[in-house]
Amino acid sequence: MQLKEVEIDGNKWLLSSNRVLFWEQQNALLLADAHLGKTGHFRKEGIGIPQDVYQKDLHRLFDSIQFFQAKHVWIIGDLFHSHGNKELDLFLRWRIDFSGTEFHLVKGNHDILPKQWYEDANIQVHNKEVVIGNIELTHDPKDYVNQEKYSLSGHVHPGVLIKGLGRQKLRFPCFYFGQKQGLLPAFGEFTGLFTIETGIDDKCFAIVNHELIPISC
Amino acid sequence: MNFKYSKGYQVVEQWLQKKGWQPFAFQYETWESMWTGKHGLVNAPTGCGKTFSVFLGAVIQYINEHPNDWQTRTHKELYLLWVTPLRALAKDIVRAMEEAVEEIGLPWKIAMRNGDTETAERQKQKKNPPQVLVITPESLHLLIAQKKHLTFFEGTACVAVDEWHELIGSKRGVQTELAISHLVHNSKRSLLVWGISATIGNLNEAAEVLLHPVRNQPWKLIRAELDKRIEIISIIPDEIETYPWAGHLGIKLAEQLIPIIESSRTALLFINTRSMSEIWYQKILELAPQLAGAMALHHGSIEKELRVWVEEALHQEVLKLVVCTASLDLGVDFRPVDTVIQVGSPKGVSRFLQRAGRSGHQPGAISKIFFLPTHSLELMEAAALKSALSYQHIEAKQPLQLCFDVLLQYLCTLATGDGFEAEDAFREIQNTFCFQEISQEEWQELLHLITKGGNSLQAYDEFRKVDIEDKKYIIKSRRIALRHRMNIGTIVSDALLKVKTIQGKYLGTIEEWFVSKLEPGTVFTLAGRNLELVGMKDMTAIVKPSKSKKSLVPSWMGGRMPLTANLGILLRQTLNLVREQAFENWPTELQALKYLFEIQQDLSHIPQKDELLIEYIVTKDGYHLFVHPFEGRLVHEAMAAIVAYRISLIQPITFSIAMNDYSFELLSDQPLPIDEIDLYSLFSTNQLLLDIQKSVNAAEMAKRKFRDIAVIGGLIFQGFPGEQKKARHLQSSASLLFQVFQEYEPNNVLLRQAYQEVFDQQMEEQRLRQALDRIQSSEIILKKPTKLTPFSFPVKVDGLNRENLSSERLEDRVKRMQEQLKK
Repeated sequence: MQLKEVEIDGNKWLLSSNRVLFWEQQNALLLADAHLGKTGHFRKEGIGIPQDVYQKDLHRLFDSIQFFQAKHVWIIGDLFHSHGNKELDLFLRWRIDFSGTEFHLVKGNHDILPKQWYEDANIQVHNKEVVIGNIELTHDPKDYVNQEKYSLSGHVHPGVLIKGLGRQKLRFPCFYFGQKQGLLPAFGEFTGLFTIETGIDDKCFAIVNHELIPISC
Repeated sequence: MNFKYSKGYQVVEQWLQKKGWQPFAFQYETWESMWTGKHGLVNAPTGCGKTFSVFLGAVIQYINEHPNDWQTRTHKELYLLWVTPLRALAKDIVRAMEEAVEEIGLPWKIAMRNGDTETAERQKQKKNPPQVLVITPESLHLLIAQKKHLTFFEGTACVAVDEWHELIGSKRGVQTELAISHLVHNSKRSLLVWGISATIGNLNEAAEVLLHPVRNQPWKLIRAELDKRIEIISIIPDEIETYPWAGHLGIKLAEQLIPIIESSRTALLFINTRSMSEIWYQKILELAPQLAGAMALHHGSIEKELRVWVEEALHQEVLKLVVCTASLDLGVDFRPVDTVIQVGSPKGVSRFLQRAGRSGHQPGAISKIFFLPTHSLELMEAAALKSALSYQHIEAKQPLQLCFDVLLQYLCTLATGDGFEAEDAFREIQNTFCFQEISQEEWQELLHLITKGGNSLQAYDEFRKVDIEDKKYIIKSRRIALRHRMNIGTIVSDALLKVKTIQGKYLGTIEEWFVSKLEPGTVFTLAGRNLELVGMKDMTAIVKPSKSKKSLVPSWMGGRMPLTANLGILLRQTLNLVREQAFENWPTELQALKYLFEIQQDLSHIPQKDELLIEYIVTKDGYHLFVHPFEGRLVHEAMAAIVAYRISLIQPITFSIAMNDYSFELLSDQPLPIDEIDLYSLFSTNQLLLDIQKSVNAAEMAKRKFRDIAVIGGLIFQGFPGEQKKARHLQSSASLLFQVFQEYEPNNVLLRQAYQEVFDQQMEEQRLRQALDRIQSSEIILKKPTKLTPFSFPVKVDGLNRENLSSERLEDRVKRMQEQLKK
């Protein structure tokens, strides 16, 4: 695992190649688009995706919490992929072991579980954007309302295309920080990538295996 | 009893006499063989009454079974099942059969069934079976997916597979094999299996594959010795000097086509890709506006009604020209067609012959085909094709082995219908050519996959597809069964969107990735019309007609075919002519290329058949290594990967690789130590397999193969073409699935198959070995031209599938790419 630091509007953020962001001042771990339960959803419909992907995602999540000793976990949307299934029971078992950690979910379009479920899982659900300090958290960057504050979002599953001489092309998931908005990489491994365009003054970090490589355009 | 005296033959002979027809020897031979209970394969070209060989054989057999009441008895069962690969074909066949039985006085019902058949009609067929059913392999599998389907086939006496040469070597062929084995295995009477095939290089093997389930019974290969003369006329650009060196559309030559079209009754213009066919349609309309109304466009993305109309109009001779793609490729008996024009390389000898065969349908007539090159070097192909005709060089079609994706799909098809018992199904499957060598372990693995779904966290798993009930494997979930039925088939298309007008009129389909690049207001061309994109709604592109002169032409990914080995050999021999023979003796096509050969010789070299030309050229893009083996794109892809890998062992380096049918290119941002490399060792067959496996490309190539496999094997839900009602939250891309399986279930049978397909088909390992052996015994000529040569230019401009091969650590590579950009 590799860490890189960025500073946005006075906030110091640690980016991890494990696809999470740690916000020291708030003692909070931020991530987006985990899509937990996605393999189970596919399997229930007869599509045999190996469940090990899911297991590894869970390990990465709880490892990260432990590593940063985070008090709060903020999921900026799409924590779960779809309706409930047995895979979520495994999440719940872990959740109990980490009952001291506060979980917050800024609802995303995939978060369709019944209200009661989140309550039982001890996850605080925020139906709209949330402001922490001078930062706004919103799942879909399009819903960014508070134009004065910097926003952090998910939803996009940002990927960056790196072109080199001799027509080389490579694509990686990335952290992206524009002038007013930032995007977190999709946390779940069984998720796709959407290639984003980056501006000259933007910051972008490609996740290449276990390294974070700053990309300048 | 003598066959000649059988009631059936007499009835049919009487009918033929009345029409003034004389049966061909091969037809008679087929009828007689069927009469003696033999299976078989008929080899006959299109337009020579091949349909009537097997069809009338069945009619004769039926009459002989009911000699006294064949005219009056009501037959309630399906007697002849006629499998045909293309829908466009079905209509013609039904028409011909209907005409025949009516005139013979046989009260048979002939029906067809394919993706276009309405549900009501399907229901009717089930309740009241026709005596002949013309069906596609996909629809046949859909029938097998129905409960109690075996009663439908209880009275079936014969199954015929038409155009077997089109099916063998493809997964649709495997599907056909499985269906035939199923019918043979479950038939209560003796079921005759017959195939009909055009000439291919391995006819005997083709027969063995089709007849594998009945291999222990007598069968016969029947060849129609009909001589069909073919004449190739190349359209040669007036000013070859200005004709593009590399892949353009040949549209500059369109003008020369107009008089050819004008002087024919009906012409077919074959274009290799759908997008090019749109462009040609527009261009010809522009050059010859008088053809408006008398010309039409036919390709796979055009709305069904329009396609059907075109096929119908061809019959009625109201069309002067149809611009088409492979969608009109198969042996449709378009009698009125008298001119065939091929634009661009047909990529293989047999396809070219078949297309040529579309014209001059009467036995004995000369088939004429015009060849229009789309770039200069393609003229060489025309010369090569001409020599192919004189030597009868026709490609073999290799049958596929152990296609587990098709088998997985088939097992689910059986489970959707009546369900299956493992041992019984295993016997049935082992009886096909494709799966004759399936092992017990592989079989158990497949059963495990459909019931347990591979790696799981048992306590937290709810995998469900096929249930086991009283030893029967059966799909009980209606949702899963429905989804499976919608997914039956082996033709995988890219994600398609419907195109509709604001009023809601459906115009056709277009690939998703193309639309995603368009902004509302952009004008594009579909079905020969210019359309302006208004917006997207529910995965439908809403358009309105546009008068704009400028428009984009959508490109469809499908339909790019690699050159066959055969044509490659011919090409190399053709090049030899240039060096060996005096100019006067060159074929006209090569004479036209004189100027180009001179430049090539000046800048570099013209390789002879026992030479391999390598060109090392430095441009602003970097350091290019062009290699010209003329072996076809597939072999080049593998060869390029291996050569790149072997160079990368000498120094850490990253290559971008491109290839076309003639050459491949390795492009690097660092200079190559070209003078220090032993060039022969790059092409050595030593450690070939090991090196293939190590060249990163295998994974890249397997990833591309995996898309089709994942769809066929049921991992990706495709939905109906153009129908975007995909299951909610069940979408994923093939490349993502590949990545996940590669990491978490590397032993998965579908993943293994992707690699196997790469080795067998993509790398064509055997062909690759032969090519490398050839290079070892030839002279490698290294040239360092100062600029791009006529041979190297095409691959640089339109080399397909650019890919990378690198021996650097991924992290280092990204950093270096970054560094270079900063400079």
